[in-house]
Order: sequence, then C-alpha cells, then structure tokens
Amino acid sequence: MMQIRLAGIGGQGVVLAGVILGEAAAIEGLNVLQTQDYSSASRGGHSIADVIISKEPIYDVMVTRADVLVALHQLGYDTVKDELREDGLLIIDTDLVKPDREYVGAPFTRIAEETTGLALTVNMVALGYLVAKTGVVKKESVEEAIRRRVPKGTEEINIKAFMAGYEEGLK
Amino acid sequence: MRYPFPVGKSDFIQGDEAIARAAILAGCRFYAGYPITPASEIFEAMALYMPLVDGVSIQMEDEIASIAAIIGASWAGAKAMTATSGPGFSLMMENLGYAIMTETPIVVVDVQRGGPSTGQPTLAAQGDIMQAIWGTHGDHMLIVLSPSTVQEAFDFTIRAFNLAEKYRTPVVLLTDAEIAHMRERVYIPSPEEIELVERKLPASEEEAKLPFGDPHGDGVPPMPIFGRGYRTYVTGLTHDERGRPRTVDAEVHEKLITRIFRKILDHKDEIISYEEFMLDDADVAIVSTGIVSRSAIRAVKILRERGVKAGMVKINTIWPFDFDYIEQLAERVGKIYVPEMNLGQLYHLVKEGANGKAEVELIAKIGGEVHTPMEIVERVVG
Repeated sequence: MMQIRLAGIGGQGVVLAGVILGEAAAIEGLNVLQTQDYSSASRGGHSIADVIISKEPIYDVMVTRADVLVALHQLGYDTVKDELREDGLLIIDTDLVKPDREYVGAPFTRIAEETTGLALTVNMVALGYLVAKTGVVKKESVEEAIRRRVPKGTEEINIKAFMAGYEEGLK
Repeated sequence: MRYPFPVGKSDFIQGDEAIARAAILAGCRFYAGYPITPASEIFEAMALYMPLVDGVSIQMEDEIASIAAIIGASWAGAKAMTATSGPGFSLMMENLGYAIMTETPIVVVDVQRGGPSTGQPTLAAQGDIMQAIWGTHGDHMLIVLSPSTVQEAFDFTIRAFNLAEKYRTPVVLLTDAEIAHMRERVYIPSPEEIELVERKLPASEEEAKLPFGDPHGDGVPPMPIFGRGYRTYVTGLTHDERGRPRTVDAEVHEKLITRIFRKILDHKDEIISYEEFMLDDADVAIVSTGIVSRSAIRAVKILRERGVKAGMVKINTIWPFDFDYIEQLAERVGKIYVPEMNLGQLYHLVKEGANGKAEVELIAKIGGEVHTPMEIVERVVG
C-alpha cells in the first residue's frame, strides 16, 4: 500500500492531480481511494488531495502516515508536513517551499511556465515528477487518465506538462 | 438501452455519482430534489443522465415538495428517488410518514453531515441514524441501509430500489459526506448482471379494488397504478383495504398498521444484512456501520497483531435491526464496542440487543473526522 498526499493552495489543481493519479491506478486494476480537503476559498487557502493505492482492499479513509508528500506551496507544506513518515519521500516545488527536512524536487511552477506557458499546469508537472520518482503507476496509465479527466481541448497541453515533470524526475 | 456512462466495467467515481448511476441502472426514471451539500452531486448527475434515458429530473422548491413529487411519481408507476442531507431530511419527515402510510415505494438518500440544523455542511457525521428510523411520527416501519464504501453505495442503492418495490415501502439509504465525496474504484455492472425487482401489480380487478389489502398473505398488497384503468383512493388518513378513510375504527387502524409492520418484519431475514470479520474466536467485538466500519476493520487487525482476540460486525441494514443477532453476539463475547460519528445512536440499539449479556461501550466522535483505527484500538486496550 502506498499513501500519497498532495498539498498546495487553491488554484494549483492539487485535487485534479490526485483524481488523475487515482484514475491511473484504477485503470491498472489497483484498489484506490482518493479524498480531498480544502478551505472554502477557491483560491489561496490550503488544498490537499489524498491518494491511497493498494493491491489489497483499502479500509483507510484518508492518509494518516504518508509515504510520499508532494508540496507545491509553503502553506500546504506547513499544514501537513507532520503526517509524512520519517523515512517518507518529500517532493517539493523548490522555488515555493522551504522544507526543514530532506527532500527532492524541482521548480515545478517555473517548468510549467517554460513548457506550456501556463503556471496552472504545475499540477501535471508535479504529477509527472512523482510518477517518475515512485513508479507507483505507469506513465501510460496517467496519460490515459489525463485524457479522461481534463477539459476537452486541453489534453495535449496537460500531457506535455506531465511529460516535462516526468523527464525531470528521471534525472 | 444505451446508458450515459460505461457499464460492465470499473470506473473511478465518487459515492454520490455511484448512487446516481445505480439508481439509473435500477430503473429509476424520476428524480426530484433540492440542492444541498454534500448530496448535490447526486442531483447534478441525475440532471445530466435522466434526459438521456427518457427520465425526469426536476428541481422542486424545497425538500418537502421533492419527496411529495417522488411519491406522486411512484403512484404514476415510476421508480423514484430523492437525495438530501440533514436539514432537508428533517423537512422530509412528514411525507416520509405519508409514504409509509400509503405504502409507496420510494428511495430517499440522506447524505449525513454534521448537525443539528445547518451544522457542518461539508463534513461527515452519523447523527441521523435515529432520525432515519424514528424521525416521522406515529407507529411506523421502514427500511434503512448504510454503505461503507463507494462500491456499497452503488450496490445498496440497487438493493434499496429492490426492497422498496418488493415490500411497497420507502427505503432510506443513509450515507455520509465522506463516502459521498471520496473516489474509489467501483465496478459498474451491465444491466444483465443486475437482478431487479418490480412491484406487484393487481392481477385482477378484484385485487385492484383492494390496494391496501393482503390478497397474497405476505402483507404486501399489489399496487394499482394511476392511469392504468382503476379508480384508486390514496390517503394518509387511516384507511380500509379499499383505501377509504376510516379514522375512528380501532380495528381498521390496528389491522393496517400491524400489517405495515408485518410485511417488513416477517421478511427481516431477507432484509437484514451484516458482515462479520474475525469474530470466530473473538472475546471483544466492535459493532459499527457505514464509514466508521473501515477504521474498525483496521483496528481489529491492529488488535490481533497485539494479541487481542478482537472481531467486528459491519451493520449493512440499520433498520429493521437484528436485536436477536446482537444478543447471540453478546453471549459469545465479553465486551462490545460501538464506534460511531455521533454521541450515541447505534449504541442504544446494540445495548438493547445485547440485553445485558455483554458490556457495551460507546466510542463517540463528532466534529467531522472519521475515527482513526488507533482511536478505536486505544479504547479497546485501555
């Protein structure tokens, strides 16, 4: 079982990234649960998506001890950092999060702007990086999930951002 | 028949969406509702799907009208559903009683959130258990089902329609904000994989004249449908077998109400459903329902690792409640714990069932978060 938590602020597409990761796991026939927690503000408040992926039945209803934490913003990181396992994997946007522990990461928002011209594709960049680093699902499954879940006409731009993050994660 | 969503395969969807798709597959073709968090996604899905299956989805002026509309639709021959949350469920109580008294098959979904009043719109709770059973006034009987996963939200919705049709009764699907909004992998069966039950229709003019009689001896009268040739009188007043008001005759009242009880209680073995986990050699049992059951199962596994002989029961049918089963369980174990997201509701049913044969302890939690497994474990090991 892998417990993954994505944390950022409203507007970064954190929940959509969680849904797409979950959908990718479902496509592979894995058991998966996805929940979210966000403040009532549509932009600016904390936004968290939990994804639990397992070959076994999942009884948990939220991430209680994350194996992986992806932090896209300092506010999101500060809100949930204590729930990352001591030997868990911390992935951050290195421009926006100043962590107080070991981490990996890249300037996801900057990569998003440079790759697609749209900072809001940061969620796909981070998702690509996560998938490359953990191998929790195949990248082809994520591409399929992106096609199913993003608004029509934005599939290619989202996949481009995802691939940019994936390549970065392989470095 | 083409369905507006994939069937015969798995999908990754929220509990609310699963309930809507299950209703469509169960044959529901009339939905009336009023939007409310965390049940609105059921309405959104129904608004999208119903026109595509030649059904009706209508927004009413409030929840009172919503349940009234589905009662009418059911008498017109449609399988009908509404969905709401606590504040709307409170408004539906009078007409829920009307549906019981007029023996109208309907499905009412209550997606529980923190209450009372408008309370915590976005957070889960289990505070409506007693309301679902006893919220409407007078002596009455109905069926209440409680899912713990998105798959069960789907499966139990189909079952709710089948039970409603079979026993000519309202069925409440009691779920919560957590299941409503979580996404899980769910198998959406194709229609040929689903067993559907349809209401009994009058087989003769004689039967049609007795829409509240008991021609088959099972307590369930055939239901004449408006517009199909029979004159039928439907009233919330105490009525005789023909449906005519008889409000001061004690015998008529007793016969009607006891039959409404009997048609469900005589078939409770078929209606009641629960699942046991690791109970065979247990000397501690956890009894729970809905979302909390998931934490309870994890808690049992942790307790077993620590050498505690724990087991659990997940209650799928909250009402009618299997008091006899709980008494037998109490005889097998020394202690029963009841974790629930309220200050004690299922607990009272379990305590009545245990009948003093085992100590029953409530593990209450309110505020919106589901018990963690460790919160249950710590109470059990002290």
